[in-house]
Amino acid sequence: MSEIRFRLNGSEVSYAGSGADRLLEVLRNTYRCTSVKCGCKEGECGACSVLIDGVLINSCCVAMGAIEGSEVVTMEGFRETRRFEVLDKAFGELSAVQCGFCIPGMVLAAEALLSKNPHPTVDEIRQGLSGNLCRCTGYNAIVNAVELAAKEGEGLW
Amino acid sequence: MVNGYAAASLAEALEIRSNQKVVPYAGGTDLMVENRSGVDYLFLGKIPELRNINEDDEYIRIGAAVTFTQALEDKKVPALMKEALKRIAAPAIRNAGTFGGNLGNGSAKADSVLIEFVSDARLRLASRDKERIVDVDKFYLGRKKLDLAADELIVEILLPRTGLDRYSYEKVGGRNALAISRVSFAGIFDERDGRITKLAAAFGAVADTVLRYKDLEETMLGKTLDEARELKEKYLEGYAERMVLTQGRVSAEYRKKVCMNLLGDFLAKFGI
Repeated sequence: MSEIRFRLNGSEVSYAGSGADRLLEVLRNTYRCTSVKCGCKEGECGACSVLIDGVLINSCCVAMGAIEGSEVVTMEGFRETRRFEVLDKAFGELSAVQCGFCIPGMVLAAEALLSKNPHPTVDEIRQGLSGNLCRCTGYNAIVNAVELAAKEGEGLW
Repeated sequence: MVNGYAAASLAEALEIRSNQKVVPYAGGTDLMVENRSGVDYLFLGKIPELRNINEDDEYIRIGAAVTFTQALEDKKVPALMKEALKRIAAPAIRNAGTFGGNLGNGSAKADSVLIEFVSDARLRLASRDKERIVDVDKFYLGRKKLDLAADELIVEILLPRTGLDRYSYEKVGGRNALAISRVSFAGIFDERDGRITKLAAAFGAVADTVLRYKDLEETMLGKTLDEARELKEKYLEGYAERMVLTQGRVSAEYRKKVCMNLLGDFLAKFGI
């Protein structure tokens, strides 16, 4: 077996490069999933968060060989869902987006949180987003947006 | 796969490990930050035998590729371990980071390793032809130096099932989330018939390995709380003399002061 096979946003793909390559860079450069942002390459900022088999992971800290057989979802795939629409609307309504760099990771972190816990408290929301740094908003608008999405999207998660 | 080996079972992984020069890769959260060039990874994250949490009469047995999130959601994992796990980094890192990786990285800042030191955990290591059990404090030979042969893998962590209920755990970091320990402390106390049967204290992130002084702990064993209070000053002096701490992001003096304060708080919590 020489190629690494996995699912990316619902499609079967196979990657012929090195097993040691960084998922973050492969997503951006090979598959043009540029919603996945590179902030730190140290697992500190969450801008590169993706869902791997439904679990939130920093793609900068994943080698390609580790995702053989996995399902990877980035914002390019998640934006096709009804859940995204609800989060998108809530983030917009509450002006939870400023420069936008952290937002793809932030929205996927919200999705991961709500999938596990559809009715989180404010504390639980803050914990769920604690690995995603934002230098613009001061976080409160984002926390409020996730709280609003949980209410508006009742039954979706 | 170029620059990597996938294994479907532990036996297959050990076979590869015995024939090839590979770096064991479980969660990747430390390895990918290090980003060594030209290495071949042996991917262990999907091997079922390494992903289980079991228990026997004596131990909770945590597979080396069990993630911190998985352990936090498992009823068998003791509260003391969970105290440390829930303060590791943030959800996305806890979803990937593993017990085996925390050990194998060899850092004295590893928060799950501190708990393994204070609770006298043991490790099951295996190679293709044999396996052995080693005490966690013997596994650490120095900074980034481990008693792990080139053909061996960490298979599971054996955490004692009993005697971990009365504890203190403190992590001092620069912020609430995504914090690397500057000083971490775990202590376990136990008594029977009014006499101390356990007084274990371990300090993380302050030296090349986690620090624990069993000979100092022994001076308190078998004592009543009254006797222990009388011995307290001498006991604390023993720690102050022995602890030679390294300078890190914060000064050695600050770290020592914090260590002594945390040790004092731990004793006070249990009436000493």
